[in-house]
Parts: sequence; C-alpha cells; structure tokens
Amino acid sequence: MNSRRQFLKAVGLAGGAVAASLVNRVAMAALPEPVIQTKPETMPPLIPNQGRPYNPVVTLNGWTLPWRMKNGVKEFHLVAEPVVREMAPSFKAHLWGYNGQSPGPTIEVVEGDRVRIFVTNKLPEHTSIHWHGQRLPNGMDGVSGLTQPPILPGKTFVYEFIARRPGTFMYHPHADEMVQMAMGMMGSWVTHPRDKHPLIAEVDRDFIFLMNAYDIEPGSFTPKIMTMLDFNLWSWNSRIFPGIDSLNVRQNDKVRIRIGNLTMTNHPMHLHGHEFLVTGSDGGPTPPSSRFYEVTADVAVGQMRQIEFVADEEGDWAFHCHKSHHTMNAMSHDVATLIGVDQRELARKITNLIPDYMVMGERGMADMAAMEMPIPDNTAPMMTGDGPFGSVEMGGMFSVVKVRRNQQPGNYSDPGWYKHPPGTSAYEFAGAPTEPARMQSKMQQGMPRLHKPSTEVEVTVRKPKSTHH
Amino acid sequence: MNWARFAAGITLLSIVALSGCARVEIDKSIDRINKDAADFTEGKLILAQNLDQRKALESMAAELLAKPLSQSDAVQLALVNSPALQAMLAANWSKLADAAQTGRITNPVFSFERLVLGDELELTRLLSFNLLDLLTLPQRYGLAQHRIEEAQLRLTIEVVDLISQIRLAWVNVLAAQQNRNYAEQVFEAAEVSSRLAREMQRVGNFSKLQRVRQQVFYSDAATHLARAEQETLSSREQLIRLLGLSASQAEELLLPKMLPTLPENPRTPQEISKAANQGRLDIKLAEAELQAAAKAQGLNQITSLTDIELGIRQEKRSTRNAGSSISGSGYDIGVQLPVFDWGDMLRAGMNADTLAAVNRLEATVSAAGSELRESYSEYRTAYDVSKHYRDEVLPLSRIISEENVLRYNGMLTGVFDLLAETREQIRTVMAAISAQKQFWLADAALHAAVIGHPKMLEQSL
Repeated sequence: MNSRRQFLKAVGLAGGAVAASLVNRVAMAALPEPVIQTKPETMPPLIPNQGRPYNPVVTLNGWTLPWRMKNGVKEFHLVAEPVVREMAPSFKAHLWGYNGQSPGPTIEVVEGDRVRIFVTNKLPEHTSIHWHGQRLPNGMDGVSGLTQPPILPGKTFVYEFIARRPGTFMYHPHADEMVQMAMGMMGSWVTHPRDKHPLIAEVDRDFIFLMNAYDIEPGSFTPKIMTMLDFNLWSWNSRIFPGIDSLNVRQNDKVRIRIGNLTMTNHPMHLHGHEFLVTGSDGGPTPPSSRFYEVTADVAVGQMRQIEFVADEEGDWAFHCHKSHHTMNAMSHDVATLIGVDQRELARKITNLIPDYMVMGERGMADMAAMEMPIPDNTAPMMTGDGPFGSVEMGGMFSVVKVRRNQQPGNYSDPGWYKHPPGTSAYEFAGAPTEPARMQSKMQQGMPRLHKPSTEVEVTVRKPKSTHH
Repeated sequence: MNWARFAAGITLLSIVALSGCARVEIDKSIDRINKDAADFTEGKLILAQNLDQRKALESMAAELLAKPLSQSDAVQLALVNSPALQAMLAANWSKLADAAQTGRITNPVFSFERLVLGDELELTRLLSFNLLDLLTLPQRYGLAQHRIEEAQLRLTIEVVDLISQIRLAWVNVLAAQQNRNYAEQVFEAAEVSSRLAREMQRVGNFSKLQRVRQQVFYSDAATHLARAEQETLSSREQLIRLLGLSASQAEELLLPKMLPTLPENPRTPQEISKAANQGRLDIKLAEAELQAAAKAQGLNQITSLTDIELGIRQEKRSTRNAGSSISGSGYDIGVQLPVFDWGDMLRAGMNADTLAAVNRLEATVSAAGSELRESYSEYRTAYDVSKHYRDEVLPLSRIISEENVLRYNGMLTGVFDLLAETREQIRTVMAAISAQKQFWLADAALHAAVIGHPKMLEQSL
C-alpha cells in the first residue's frame, strides 16, 4: 500500500501525468497502473523517494516514468500507443509513442537495480522494445523474431533484467522498426552509478533528449513513413524550435547534456559561449585521456553522447545542430534563388492573378520570418521564433542554454531574456564607414586552361543599397 | 335589255366569288407567327411597311443598343433591326400571295367590238369567263387555304431558325470573350514567369536552359491568346451579321461580360412534353402538306389524322451521395406515337402525292420524338456538367489556389511553381466556362427542338 501511495505521489511530481484506469482492471491487477503524460512541456526531475538515491535527469520536453517497487524489483509500465504530439505551438503531429507522448518517458534506474518492464501494445500492429546499449540476457534484447515473438496488439509482455552498466541509453521498437521509429517510437534510459564513479562526474543539472526526424507534408499530421533521407522536420524529443524548451541553468553550474541520435543522419551539436568535454557515450564513460575541449560534437546515427561543461558565462547561449537546414522547419528544396532579382514591377502583374501574392526572396529569405504571412494549417513556419531583438529566424534543432546568476538550484523555469549589461551588446556604428581596402592578387594562374571560354563570364554582384525595409 | 341583265348577273356572281376567295394579309400572318412562336419572338415581330414604321423600329434598335445586350435583347434587336429579316418577311409575303393566287378564278374577259360595214355599224360587247374555274371554285379555295397554311408555317420556321441562330451566336460570343480574358490571364502568368526567368538569368541565378523552359510556356500561351482573340472577333462579327448591324451600330454594340449563370433548376421533362405538345411546327407543316395533297386529290377524311401527342418522361433521377463528387443522371424519355389505321386510306386509293405526304407525316412524328429526346438529354447533360463544374470542380480549384499561396508563403513552393499552378487553375476556369457555354447552346437548341426545329441541335454541338 505504501508503494502505491508513493507511486501516486510520484505521479503528482510528474506534473501533467495522470494514472489511466484501464478498462480491464482485473486483468491488469498484476500490472503497475500505467501513467500517461498529457503535456509536451519539460517536466521537473522525478526525485526518487524509494530505492537507491540518485541525482535525477531532466528530459527536455519530456518526463521520467514513475515506477513501483515490488519485492525489490522496480516495475515500470510502458504502453505503446498512437499519440497526438504537439511538436511546436499550433503544430500537432499524429505519431506513435509511449504513455501519451512521443518520445516515451525516460526510464531512470540505478546500477544494479532489478528492473521489470511491462509493455502493453495498443498499436494496430505488433511491436517489441529493444533496450539499446544494455547488458542483459539475450532473450530480453527485444529483437522481434530473433529473441522473442512480437508483442501482438492488445498483448502485454514483460522484460526483466538487472541494469548492470551505468550510462546513457535509449529504447526503441525492433519490430517493423523502420515504420515505428519513423512514427516516433523511442525513449531515453539513464542508469545512474550506484556509488561515486571515478569517470562519471556529479553534476548540478543533467539534461537528456533524443534527436528524431519526421517528414510531415505541410498541412497534414502524419509522418510519411517511407521517407528515409529527405525529412522536413528535425526535432529534439519530437519538438521543433520554437517548441523546444530552453535549458535553464545557474551560473557556474556543472551541466551535463545527454544526446541520442535516432535520425538517419549525423548531427554536429554546437554550443555557443562555452567549451565542453564529451565524457561518454552509450558505450560508457570515456577515459579522461581521450577527452578534449570542443564547441561542436558530432552525434552519429544510433549514437549517444554526453557533453559536460561549466556554465560560467551568463547569457542566452544558442545550442543547435550545426547543419543549417536542420535549424529550419518544413521547407522546399526547389524554391528558386531570387536574390538580386528585381521583382517589383512583376509583382504587380502577379498580384492581378494571385491577389495575396507577396514578393519574397529578393534580398534573401529573412523576409519570410519578418512578414509572418498565413501558411498552410498545422504547419510550423520554416524560420521563426521571436527573440528580444527580433526574429531568431530558426526552426528545427535549435534551443538556448540560459545561464543566470540568480537561477535557484532545482529551479528549471525559464528566466526570460538575458539583460545585457550596458556596453556588452553589439551596436550600430554611428559614424561614416570608410572604404575598406581590398586585396588585389598579383599571382599568375599556375595552370591556365588550355582552351579559354569564348566569352569571359562577368560576374556582377548587386550590393544592397540603403533600404528602409 | 337581256344583255344588260345578263351582264349585271355575271358581275354580281364574280363579286360574290371573288369576295369568298382566299386572301392574305401580311399583318395577320405576322401576328400568327408572334402567337405560334411566342417563345421566340416574344410578340415583337414586325414588318415595316412604311417610313414611319421604319423610323419607329430604328429608334427601338437605338434603345436596345444603349445598354449591354442580353440574349432576349439580341433577339429583339434582330427583329427590329435586321434588314435580312425584313427582306425575308417581305419575300414570304409574296410567297403567301402566290399561294393565295391558286385559289382565285381567272378574271372574266370583257371584249368590245365596233365594226363598220359600209354605213352599217355593229357593236359587240362580250363578257366571258372560265366556267370550269367557277365550277371548281370551292375546291380551289380549300387548296389555297392549305397552301397558305404551308407557306405560313414555313415562314414561322424561318423566323424560329433565325432567332435560334441569334441565340447561339450570342452565347458563342460571350463565351469567346470570357475565354479570351482567361487566355490573357494565362498569357500574363506565363509572361511573368518568362520575364522573371530572364531577370534570373541576367543576375546569374538561372541557366540559359532554365530560362528558355519558362519562355516556352510564354510562347505557347501567346499562341493560345491569339487564337482566343480571333475566336472572339469572328463570333462577334457573326452576331453582328445576324443582328444586321450597320458599321456604326456594330461599334456601339455592348455585350455582357459573362454568360448568364446556370438556372437554379433545369427544365423538367414534364415541362418539355407540355411545351412540345403545344404545336410543333414540323408536324404542323407535314399535316398541312398532307391536307393540301388530300384536298388536291379530293379526299376529305384526312382531318381525322391529327391526334398526335409527344411526351418525355423522366423515370429516375440520381441520388447524390454526400461524399461523391460526380452526380450522374439518367432519363428515360418516351414518345407516345399515334397509331394510324391506314387501311381505309389505302382502300380509298391515295395518289402518289398524298401517299408521300402521309408517310412524311409519320416520319416527322417519329423523328420529332427522337430529336426531342436527344435534345433534352443534351440539355440535361450540359446542365449537370456545368453544375458539376460550378459546385465541385471550381471550389476545388479555388482551394488549390488558396493552398498554393499559403505554401508559397511558407517557402514550401517557389514563385515559378506558383505561377505554373495558377495557369493550371485558370485552365480549369476556362473548362468551366466551356461547360456553361455548352449549356446555353443546348438550351437554345432545346427551345428550337420543342417548337419543331431540331436542326439547331447539330449547330449547337
């Protein structure tokens, strides 16, 4: 009874989570009641109040699954089911996930814990769960057909193993894997070290998220499951900027960010204003001799990386994938480059035919973020996000690490925009700019072309004149 | 004084005979056309026989030309303005007079002879006339009446034909105008693409190949526009000719910008059956020919063969599913054919002319039903297709256009794709106009078919 009360208390801690009453209570009596999350926001860490203590993680735009202790075994209940995930404000996706959201909840255990996970399949097709990176008995590895029969719709399977190795892991289906992962089925797993670990530092703030990618036709809701490369949405925990919460820390906090990649391409993760160390992967902590400071770390497909840094610089520091199209939302790759093309006169003619037509792209794409024109329903603008100085013109895998002097320990709420001390922000030069000296090459071409082109191609660059747009 | 009495008697007889003779008055004949083809002339057919009447018609024409000409205005204008129509009426007046002539007896001949033989003077006065003429007068009179009737019907058919042609021409020119306007829009969209592509190449964003591809659309659109312009001009000139407009009147001619919208409901088969039974000109004409042939042969009992009824029935109408976009309709149009008992007639021994006329009447009646069925089916199909365009296709096209702009706004599609899509959507609008035009052509053809001038169906297709 005690465990049930504590279980419900844990539910309370998880914010918007609710205990779902299943129809067949009798059949489910032996199962922990599944907990369903209804909100896409970052939930506060789930402080463990039973079992071995540990310092919990914060799942970016996600949550940690509460458990119950039964005879010394940590019991979790995952429900694989179709979900509606808000990927960004005013943009919802029809995904498959676990316990009400995609990705599923983070599972946190301690090294040496015996873990029992009930997996109920409420999908229209069979599934299984593979515990990516874990040491476990082969029959618990979750590869449908290879190590177990698939979990048919309506059935519940039990996985049970001891979390032997501390580290950062993930879980995902291994049955119709391509489709189920394209639909958003995945989750994070953290095994905390039992004792002080020489290679695993204690940190003040510990964040975790998975990177995933979707191809959702603008105006529709469901990912195209057959898209393998040309995704149009690059997300963290099935959220896209400006729907991704900021990572809010106190100045001089030691911060760890655990990042997993379940997309089909690599992501060079770049943090502004700080240098970080890659301290581990899903293979375990890295030896200190291999660590060196970086500002960008590539996370390859199917990998996890832990980065650690001391957040000693106050401010709003951008944190993003460095592939620039991964910091865009849905866009076309076939839009013609109109830079430098004077459309003013033609625009009038086009407006006769298409009354709502607006000129875009003549000076670049920033117009798009600035104009905020109506776009198809249920679509996040390609580049958007209001910052304190205007549009951030971003999308996709982009967020901000907010470092504040007065962010209280344990407080993960958004402190708002950074207030720059006077004289520490870029400003407009008031004087007259002088003509810059331009380099003139005196070099001869080392290996000239045998046949010269008949006409010399003259490239002219139209420089922006002073405009007041 | 016997002579004097005889002469007076003859004169009297002649007067009596002549006064009973078949006569034609063109005004009455025109009144009759106005009555028989009220759906066409709206009672406004007039033959100007003097300067005052001519002037009155001219001022009516000027009034009609002052505003955009509706379809019925166009008909009115032709009635009051077309010299060709007036010529046709006048020519038919003369035909009617010829027909009437057959009913008249040869004029009596009066001869006067003065003979001097020496001192003897002999005066001879002779009044002579064709006794046979006089004896067959009642028969000739009857025959003439039928010939007049025939001529009258032929004239009515000619008027109906002219008016139907005007209706078709009016629809054609309006549709051509609209088509031209949209062809111009397609042209403009292609022109913008082409100019944009040229500018793109100039600043270095497009290759020559990319630019030329856009220019091809433009050249193609220019050809279409030129054809559409020509179509508008030629259909307008055709209407001008039918209306008999002078050069100055032609310049004044204003036409509505758009075809009339589709009527709320199509005409029902019941309506059409009823109208068709109110006297089809082709059947009446075949009847008149038969009457004339029979009269010429001296048969009287043919009058009993005039009970003819036409009818269209609509057996089932399609039910529209809420989800489905295509509404199919089916009609079953039946004609009740007269059943003649030709036996007596054959025994009575018809001559070749009468036999031909009898069979022509039967053929006309059979064909009338078939033509009516075809014409109504053409009309209903055109209505349904046009309504389908209006209620289903155009709204879809509008949504596509709106969504495309939203996609353009979201950088999900480029300006060239947007312009190409716009050209596609305009083509859909042009197809809708074509369907609307087909409906109004079929409508004019159905009017003509109902009154018994089914030739129009072919012209409208």
